[in-house]
Amino acid sequence: MKPFQFGTPKSLAQVTASLAGADADVRVMGGGTDLLAEIKEGLIEPDVVVNLKALPGLAYVRRDADGLAVGACTTVADLAEEASVAKDYRLLQQAASVIASPQLRNMGTVGGNLCQRPRCWYYRDAATVCSKKGGSQCFAEKGRNKYHAVFGGGLCWSVYPSDLAPALIALEAKVVLVSPQGERTVPLADFYAPPIVNVRRENVLARGELVKEIRVPAPKPGDRGAYIKFMERGAWDFAVVSAAARLTLSGGSIAEARIVCGGVAPVPWRLKAAEDALRGRTVTESAAAQAAARAAADARPLAENGYKVDIFKAVVARAVLAAAKP
Amino acid sequence: MKTHPPIDDAFAEYEELSRPQGAQSATTRPAESATPPAPAPQPKPGEFKHIGKVTPRVDGRMVVTGAARYTHDLAFDNMLFGRILRSPHACADIVAIDLSAAQALPGVKAALKLKEDRIRWAGEPIAAVAAVSERRAEEALALIKVEYKPLPHVTAPDKAMETGAPLVQDQGNVIKSNEAARGDVEKGFKEADLVLERTYKTSWEVHQPTETHGSVARWDGDDLTVWDSTQAVQSVRDGLARALAIPAGRIKILKHYMGGGFGSKLGLGDYTVTAAKLAKEAGRPVKIVLTRRENSTCVGYRPTAWMTVKAGAKKDGTLTALSVKSYNCGGVGRGDRVAAPYSDMYACPHFKIEEYAVFVNACASRATRAPGHTQATLGLEGMMEELAAALGMDPLAFRMKNFAAKDKGGTGIPYSTKGLEQCYKLGAEKIGWERRNKKPGAGSGKIRTGIGMASQIWPGTGAPGTLADVKLYPDGTVEVDCGTQDIGTGTRTHIAVVAAETLGLEPKDVVVHLGNSDLPWAPSSGGSMTTPSVAPAVRDAALKAAEYLKNLASKKLGLPPEEIVLEKHKAASKADPTKAVELKELARGIPRPLPFHGERSDYPSTFAFQTFGVQFAEVEVDTETGKVKVKRVVAVHDVGRVINLQTAESQVVGGVTQGMSAALFEEKLMDPDTGTMVNPNLHDYKIATAMDIPEIVPLFADVVDERLNNLGTKGLGEPARIPASACIANAVYNALGTHVREIPMTPARVLAALKRKEARP
Repeated sequence: MKPFQFGTPKSLAQVTASLAGADADVRVMGGGTDLLAEIKEGLIEPDVVVNLKALPGLAYVRRDADGLAVGACTTVADLAEEASVAKDYRLLQQAASVIASPQLRNMGTVGGNLCQRPRCWYYRDAATVCSKKGGSQCFAEKGRNKYHAVFGGGLCWSVYPSDLAPALIALEAKVVLVSPQGERTVPLADFYAPPIVNVRRENVLARGELVKEIRVPAPKPGDRGAYIKFMERGAWDFAVVSAAARLTLSGGSIAEARIVCGGVAPVPWRLKAAEDALRGRTVTESAAAQAAARAAADARPLAENGYKVDIFKAVVARAVLAAAKP
Repeated sequence: MKTHPPIDDAFAEYEELSRPQGAQSATTRPAESATPPAPAPQPKPGEFKHIGKVTPRVDGRMVVTGAARYTHDLAFDNMLFGRILRSPHACADIVAIDLSAAQALPGVKAALKLKEDRIRWAGEPIAAVAAVSERRAEEALALIKVEYKPLPHVTAPDKAMETGAPLVQDQGNVIKSNEAARGDVEKGFKEADLVLERTYKTSWEVHQPTETHGSVARWDGDDLTVWDSTQAVQSVRDGLARALAIPAGRIKILKHYMGGGFGSKLGLGDYTVTAAKLAKEAGRPVKIVLTRRENSTCVGYRPTAWMTVKAGAKKDGTLTALSVKSYNCGGVGRGDRVAAPYSDMYACPHFKIEEYAVFVNACASRATRAPGHTQATLGLEGMMEELAAALGMDPLAFRMKNFAAKDKGGTGIPYSTKGLEQCYKLGAEKIGWERRNKKPGAGSGKIRTGIGMASQIWPGTGAPGTLADVKLYPDGTVEVDCGTQDIGTGTRTHIAVVAAETLGLEPKDVVVHLGNSDLPWAPSSGGSMTTPSVAPAVRDAALKAAEYLKNLASKKLGLPPEEIVLEKHKAASKADPTKAVELKELARGIPRPLPFHGERSDYPSTFAFQTFGVQFAEVEVDTETGKVKVKRVVAVHDVGRVINLQTAESQVVGGVTQGMSAALFEEKLMDPDTGTMVNPNLHDYKIATAMDIPEIVPLFADVVDERLNNLGTKGLGEPARIPASACIANAVYNALGTHVREIPMTPARVLAALKRKEARP
């Protein structure tokens, strides 16, 4: 591990200026639960680590008529425990409360969770220079790949592990990004970019830019949601497959559905085929299973991760059924 | 042509503990051991105040408050930090090593080459440095220039067995490592009404102790002290004396507190030798602690066993023949041998086993909590369950039908004691055996439940010749000195319990010295040997001290010594407890600290001695996702007399948890191209979390083996682990009607097994 300076910033402007300027490798840290692991493993060697949590005013959850506003430095634990989230955004609350472990939820931030790097044991091994680190190949494609992507692979078969991202995309959340040039608001669905856009990164943050706030629209009448996370063990595990399902019910049938999965692709993976299959149908086990099967038809499993497609079908169907429950 | 050792050197260290098949051991018993003392009389039931009861750990408070100092916690003035450069290649010849740039780095005080010929596994030590800080040592490693000539490697056993595979060892990648037989299996299969053949597989399970391996070495002139995270202070001293070619008497090994070992810390570590050499060169103490990555890749794991088991039985359930062919893979080491449980567990007249070691380019495996027996039990007990189902029998009745009253099926030597039938009864009642699916897979729905069982056999007899001293001081206090070590299992406490019991004290009154190789000899803490070695030696010494005290009291009280008991800190008349003298008062008559030497006695060869047990598991299996949830495990063991019920129960809870974790999660995975481990951390190498641990019910059979030692006690560390994975696998079989036959039973494997069932209903 290379020594780095630990920066305690005075203002957000100072942070974005330092990110944008100079040749130094500057990284912002929320809870550090992913960033510090990357430093310790030798994946990155920043010159400066800026402690964003030291800035006042970035940890909040506000509920008003427009919806929910969540500060980037809000801890995952605080989000999970917020009463208004539990009341109006069940699927978000469910997603937040199954992340990692209590200790990590107490440290990790919402902004950090959305900006964490993907999971892949080749990417996470400093000695392996894979396509995501400027190399010429994905080692997982023909290597050990039991936890790797079954959708959206190709250049890179890592998986995006965030639990909050699928939930927030299903809720049509937006992220407020701030840079020295000012602020811009981007739908979270567009915040993530697949490997084909830039295999070395997972999002569209520009140099000098960081996530300041997450905005979630107010629920529509008839909105229901659920988040199901399938982990191998009972805690402290990334999703093998997770599914956020949001159904807008009208007169006993599904007017609108948004289903987004985690752990199955290099970025959060929206299931438009399943959404189309559900629209206009009543929620039944067979409708849910058919929608899941429709989505699974696009899967391209590797040698060791075919089982994830089976789990995917079960988890998607269960999320749809759970979402419909009051 | 360069020659390299055919078998990994480390292997020999573990050979003895890996092979607990014979009741007696040549190397764990000192050759110069004196004539064994006569066995002491057995106490009557109810006579004990502390033994067999619950005594909280005497050091529990220190451990949970952080006051206990582990090897990782140690620091000395002028101490340097050592780091080891390791091979990135799984197979390569070293052409050149240049240490000069590392040596020139300010703050680097010593540097060593550790290997100059062929590298056979990724992670093999190449060179080492000692520097004033960990960071400086790390920087120095990066400056060491090594020129490698990479060679082809193979890390998967099935690939290693193919013709044309890169040669891992000169003698070939597959060698026969064991064979044994009795009767004529072909005859036995002809006599059978039903014959089944199945293949069961286990994976590489890494020990992953909380405290990684580490040593601090300090020289004082020609004398060397090493603080070592070890299960074996005595054998580390002896190994170090050989490695450094200095008299053993100049070396002291200390191990006060221990964060786990599970078999991976049973011998001298290369990092320990390296720390001692660096310390010598630098003239300053050197500390080396391994990183979690090193711990995952460089200090062993449980070798795999791929066991093809063929068994025949008559319609009434009588086993007629059992034959096993096992391929065992322990990297560059020979792996385990799995024969003993297959041979000994059931009375089967015709038996045969052939075992092969398969070599691959990975570090050598090490003894792992019940080496061989754990793997064997998955195959043997899996087969018993599958065969019972094929016969339409209750699996427990099937086992009882083939109950072996005598050792090794055919040797004719009777077991001194065998409480297995009692264990079966207690366990079956507690789990509710009648609730199992009478036909495996008989349930319906997405979530299926099942109950399964697995039996256990393991020596756990302890080492005759173990020594302990009980010292009486003139102030009336008592000390026990024993060169054993407490590896987290509660040895300090059980020593205090035995001494307190014998001398009429409370456990907290006894000062216990252990974890120091200068103290009287005791065996390595492996093979479930510590309690049955140490407790009888302490008892022997304490009985001698008690006799001395009774003689003193006899004069004071005017009573014959046999009329006197030691209890409540007094020597008192048996008939009239008011006639008593305080031990403190008595001790004033002691001229100087008086040591009483105790020794663990030998046991007769006309009887066989083993521990037995059974575990029952209840599981839930999600047939859509392949996820297994263990709901409850009932564990019943016959380990002779229990010394401290609290730590005994803790052993069982730990063993079941570890076995459950191996059954469902744990697997060291290798990348075939790079030859390195892809999951060398505690996130990707999955160990059960608190959320995965089921209700665990530990019970003990009421058996005391009076022939074995003066307390009738046996070991428990390994017995608790042996059947845990197998009983869960059998419970999954009971739920699904198809046996997964490979651990860990990951969702992928469970789903594959379910598809196999659909394909062949």
